[in-house]
Amino acid sequence: MADKLLIRAYNVGCGDCIYVRIPKARKKDGEVDDFHMLIDCGSKAGEAVLKAALNLLKPELPLANGKRRLDLVVLSHEHEDHMKGFNPLFFEDVAIENIWLSAAMNRKHPQSKIARAFHNLAETAMRNVAKRRVALSPALQEMVSLYSISNESAVKTLTETLPEQNGIAPVYVHSDSKAAELNLKTLVGDVAFTILGPDYNIDYYYMGDEGAIDLRAFSEAAAGVLASGRAPADVQPGNISSLDFRRLQSRMMSNAFAYTAKDSTLINNTSIMLLIGWRGRRLLLVGDAEWEGTFVDGQHNGAWNVAWKRQRAKLDQPVDFLKIGHHGSTNATPWNDKEDRTVTEASTILDAILPLPAGNMPKSGPKAVVSTARTPYDVIPRSTLLVEIAKRVSNTKIYAPLLSPAQIQGLPNYVGFEEALLGEPQPQRTDMETLVTGKPYVDIEIEPAAGH
Amino acid sequence: MPSKPKTVDTTKATKAALYAARKVLTRDAQEELQLRIPFDVYFQDPALRTLRRNFDFDETFDVPWEPGIGDGPTSARFAVVDYDSSAETLAPPATWDAENNVFTDTNGVPLNKANIASPQYRQVNVWATLQNALDFYENGFGLGRRIPFGFEGNRLIVVPNAGYGENAYYDRDSKSLQFYYFDSGEKRIYTSLSADIINHEFGHAVLDGLRPLLAESVSAETAAVHEFFGDLSAILIAFRNNKLRKWLAAETGGDLSVDSALSNLAEEFGGAVQNQPYLRSALNKLRYSSIKDDQRQHYMSQVLTGAMFDIVQRLSRHYMKRGRTLGEAFWHTIRRMQCMAIQPLDLLPPVDVTFEDYALAVLRNEEIVNPTDPDGYRQMMIDVFLEREVLSPETGRKLREPHDVFTRLRTQVYHHAADIASSRAAAYRFLDDNRSALFIPYSADIAVQDLSTAVKLTADARRQPRQVLLQYTWREDVVLEGGRFGQFAGETTSMLCGGTLALDIDGNLLSWMRKPGTQPLMGKGADESAEEQGGALRKEAFLNALAARIKAGRIGEIAGGELGILEKTVAPLTANKVGGILRFSLSPHVGIHSDEHDEMGESQWQISS
Repeated sequence: MADKLLIRAYNVGCGDCIYVRIPKARKKDGEVDDFHMLIDCGSKAGEAVLKAALNLLKPELPLANGKRRLDLVVLSHEHEDHMKGFNPLFFEDVAIENIWLSAAMNRKHPQSKIARAFHNLAETAMRNVAKRRVALSPALQEMVSLYSISNESAVKTLTETLPEQNGIAPVYVHSDSKAAELNLKTLVGDVAFTILGPDYNIDYYYMGDEGAIDLRAFSEAAAGVLASGRAPADVQPGNISSLDFRRLQSRMMSNAFAYTAKDSTLINNTSIMLLIGWRGRRLLLVGDAEWEGTFVDGQHNGAWNVAWKRQRAKLDQPVDFLKIGHHGSTNATPWNDKEDRTVTEASTILDAILPLPAGNMPKSGPKAVVSTARTPYDVIPRSTLLVEIAKRVSNTKIYAPLLSPAQIQGLPNYVGFEEALLGEPQPQRTDMETLVTGKPYVDIEIEPAAGH
Repeated sequence: MPSKPKTVDTTKATKAALYAARKVLTRDAQEELQLRIPFDVYFQDPALRTLRRNFDFDETFDVPWEPGIGDGPTSARFAVVDYDSSAETLAPPATWDAENNVFTDTNGVPLNKANIASPQYRQVNVWATLQNALDFYENGFGLGRRIPFGFEGNRLIVVPNAGYGENAYYDRDSKSLQFYYFDSGEKRIYTSLSADIINHEFGHAVLDGLRPLLAESVSAETAAVHEFFGDLSAILIAFRNNKLRKWLAAETGGDLSVDSALSNLAEEFGGAVQNQPYLRSALNKLRYSSIKDDQRQHYMSQVLTGAMFDIVQRLSRHYMKRGRTLGEAFWHTIRRMQCMAIQPLDLLPPVDVTFEDYALAVLRNEEIVNPTDPDGYRQMMIDVFLEREVLSPETGRKLREPHDVFTRLRTQVYHHAADIASSRAAAYRFLDDNRSALFIPYSADIAVQDLSTAVKLTADARRQPRQVLLQYTWREDVVLEGGRFGQFAGETTSMLCGGTLALDIDGNLLSWMRKPGTQPLMGKGADESAEEQGGALRKEAFLNALAARIKAGRIGEIAGGELGILEKTVAPLTANKVGGILRFSLSPHVGIHSDEHDEMGESQWQISS
């Protein structure tokens, strides 16, 4: 077993908290040890679930000078469901040797000035909305919380507190980052880390030529919300009732949210797409990278489309493991979401990384895992996508017969979104696995390829 | 600049008396008596001002005066509220100067083409354009009656500077038309300055008032009928404008088959957003077979818009051949088109209107107005609809068979048309007394959807007999069985059924368009059997349309709250439950965008987080 690479996805609700252990891949002062990584630690649920996950993780980490050691912490992108758990208190007893953040988070990155300014506008807008304490639908409330102050403290933890505590500097990575820049001095053996995304030129590929116009449009579109956290003075037109005016205001297109939604997509698209090559195996962890129709030069593009265009040689090969993006959302795994057999850029990417097997799927076939919890939206996770991925991976389960009637009854939105496809094979899901096995995590083990 | 008639000042009481008698006054007399309000509106939109010198404002434009006009502007059917949702500001309203029959800005300066920089100019521009459009629908060449709106209340709220965005909306829930603005390069584009956009959006509001249940249809074709009507309204109202027609005559030499300000819709918007000289064009050769399995309602709508524009072209050629001057030919064309295209709306079934329904209503209305048809207009229109495949060859053949133009409605219990028209309750008793003859199932709980009378004119201004227009509906439960209904499998929804009866006041049957159901009928004859078969086909089509919508990922949720609706998450069709029964509704915002961004499938309706 010691020869296997371990990927452990903790069940933290709708969020990612993923531990990767690469056997015998660390060497320091002549001593060989396993290489321990944490990729993201966040959830839409409260911090408690993340603290619990970290408490389960810590005994897995080696002790050194009274602290548990993590060789590498990766934050794929700055959304709460990936970073809420980065509370300095949770890491007081952990020594961290390297921290990787997306180049999009680097305030000084020369090619993400527009994206950064756009993000700042979204942050201002959402924080001002939060101050107003108005009634919002769950979906809009969720968007506001994406930009909450607690996110800022998680960013500060990763960019300042933990680096200072550990005497290191965070590395902002992109697809042009060279091995030397990545600075993994202790990594040894047949292991290679490749960054497929984000691209160095963030503004150009993810915002498009018209990024600057977007920025101006955002300022125009959300001028009121950007200017003040207070609700506008109580004005009232003289020719309609106050009730009609209130309803009118509530029904008018909400530009602050429209542009913030764009920023949120941008943040997903600048996720670190990490390809780990290990002893003949290819493991792909993609954060919440999204896909869109087809790559168009000079326009805003999805992360998968940019990677397909710019890193084709590295991406266009089957993988042995896929961390399914964005909790199984329909827009984070490239596929033909119309399911009409048309060949699209997205379906081509899926066929390249997880080809349909010619016959029965061998036990040694590729694996996938999705960190998820049923949200009120049918697209997260999208059951039909999971069923499609299950045709292409070996670690699938049919969950319906494994669940008790009481468990099924307790599943949120079961009838609407799960019932139809829970009787079909699906890749391993953190939410279902906990119900079925009682364990708060899913383990995926990868053996070296034959001859490696 | 054309000379305007001298105006006559009257006392308030005299003006009210003249207003009451306005129908017998000529247009010139109304202008002299200040029963019309002159206002310099933009032709089409400001882009034409740049494209064609001297073709910017219409100084001959005026709109009907009414006693209740006030600041805003506010009138019987419109209340302009200048709320900007981006800046979160409310601009002061234009002020009504009753004495001088003019709107002024906050400094008391009259609003006209010399004062377009004033924020109040757009308020009055959009209001005047709407007052004119309302008159286009309501006057005798149109529906010949007052039209209702599809919401509770009678004033449509109009927001001329709604905020930043490349769109304009009709939104029933907030009883409003919202016109957004955006920047294109250094230029700011106001959708509230485009007559095409205003008239398109108002077309949605009008159709929603006339047939509110179309919004519940799951059929993409019915959604396309809404878009068609918006575009057709914009074209016909533009053509109704005297100065535009003169300019068109000079520009096209009478040949409307070339790109023109008439066939091109929303020039400025199209130029800025789609990099083409218009948003959509009525000049197309699309046929029904090429769009029938599509989901993109704007694209689909072009078949019917194209067909009606073919009719415009053929009519104008017909008048030119008869030796009319270009100007006269165009004038006769629009006056006839207004009757031909708008009057049939009153004959449409109350639910699930298809392209064929509209074509049949157009042909039937033409037959009512012009039974002998010496000029062969009806045959010409049948040809057009056949060419566009809106009618099947079989239907075309049947329409051409000799038949009685006016028949009596066979009923079991006689009700005088005037009694039926007296109240909804009376109309209901007529329907209930005659369920068997009217093919209404015994178990159906009939709702009288709308009841009105109308006095329409023929194209040569003859008064037609008063019409009694009755829309009735009922609902049938439908269980959605099978995987093709995705997340809705196992749910119950309802199929709307019903009909529209048009009688003249003497009891002649003018039109009877029905949407049958599947519940057993009371009679057992061949007619009943055919009706039941029609109902079964409808149910099948309903289920197929719904499954296609689900497969295309076109059903979503609405993410909203006090701070507004997030446009990105508004799918073309939304689902909600009313009393445990699933009910679908077309997107509450019926906007002007083309379908380009509708092709992404479901992923676009979700929020990234």
